[in-house]
Amino acid sequence: MHLTDEQLNEYLDNETANRAEIETHLDSCDECAARLSALQALFTDLDSLPEVTLPRDIAARFRPRPSLAPQLPHWLTLTATLQAAAALVALIVAIPFFSIMLPKVEMPSFTTWFFEIQSLWTSWLDTLSNLALSPIEGFQLPNYQFANLPTYPVELSTLFIALAIVSIFWIFGNGMLLRNNRS
Amino acid sequence: MNAPTDRDLILRARRGDAEAYGDLVARHQTSVFNVCYRILHNRADAEDLAQETFIRALDRLHTFDLEREFSPWIRRVAANLCLNHIESHKPSAPLDEERDEDKTQSPGEQVEVKERSEQIRSALASLPPHYRLVVELRHYQELSYDEIANELDIPLSDVKSHLFRARKLLVEKLHAPD
Ligand SMILES: [Zn+2]
Repeated sequence: MHLTDEQLNEYLDNETANRAEIETHLDSCDECAARLSALQALFTDLDSLPEVTLPRDIAARFRPRPSLAPQLPHWLTLTATLQAAAALVALIVAIPFFSIMLPKVEMPSFTTWFFEIQSLWTSWLDTLSNLALSPIEGFQLPNYQFANLPTYPVELSTLFIALAIVSIFWIFGNGMLLRNNRS
Repeated sequence: MNAPTDRDLILRARRGDAEAYGDLVARHQTSVFNVCYRILHNRADAEDLAQETFIRALDRLHTFDLEREFSPWIRRVAANLCLNHIESHKPSAPLDEERDEDKTQSPGEQVEVKERSEQIRSALASLPPHYRLVVELRHYQELSYDEIANELDIPLSDVKSHLFRARKLLVEKLHAPD
């Protein structure tokens, strides 16, 4: 009685409990030994199959993509940084002036300004309508005085406030620019 | 500094570190591609399925048991995906006629090895899909009968009959007396 295909396969796969029994038969039976070596040759063939090289790098698909926007030129980055630094220095310089001058600043009332401008606008309209009604009387612009408007509303302290606000925007703007470009 | 282990990379990838997952893919992409190529015998399909394997694996990474090895797991995922692929797509593309590259041998030896490799690949490709998968899991992934039955969710008797019939067919193709 020869060995079955199942016995030979299980023997080569190390999945049998009857190894000794099978080996005894193989020693005495050339036919079964030949069947076993044919199967063994197949195992060797399958083992010999070389690994092939992967044509493209799949890993690249999973890595974070580099920024699509081109990097800012180096000089531009440097300029932006220097500007931000200069603005920061100006802001620091301006701070003592705030504390000294801010209490002294008397901001002209906005409502007064508003009324002045409104009355100016109304008188302009009046003049225009008069001109349209009696063109013969001639053209003369009314001469108005703005008593309530401050003669020179922009004082030094106001300039510093403006400078400080501009500086803050500048720092934020440059910061955003650099940050967006880096990511 | 030592290279991070697969486990380190998996932990980082789970926290959303794409660079870590890229490194993990780079480590295993060739062996996964070879699993796919042995089963599908077509390079373009094998590339697609290898990529698909890593996409699926990323989705299931949180369920991966960190006590186990990543390599056998990802190779089994690949084998299963390939079987699903064969079953849902009847082969449209012709089987790959490309020859394997192996630069370690002299030109004479190289031609012989290439021809033999190609014969083996063709013989594998001629098997029914289920037979191919069992051969892949037994010979290339070195799973036991029980593990294969578990993996494919088929009875142990089916594992044996598929494997033994597959081998019989391969012997007939590869060792037929000239
Ligand atoms: Zn015998």
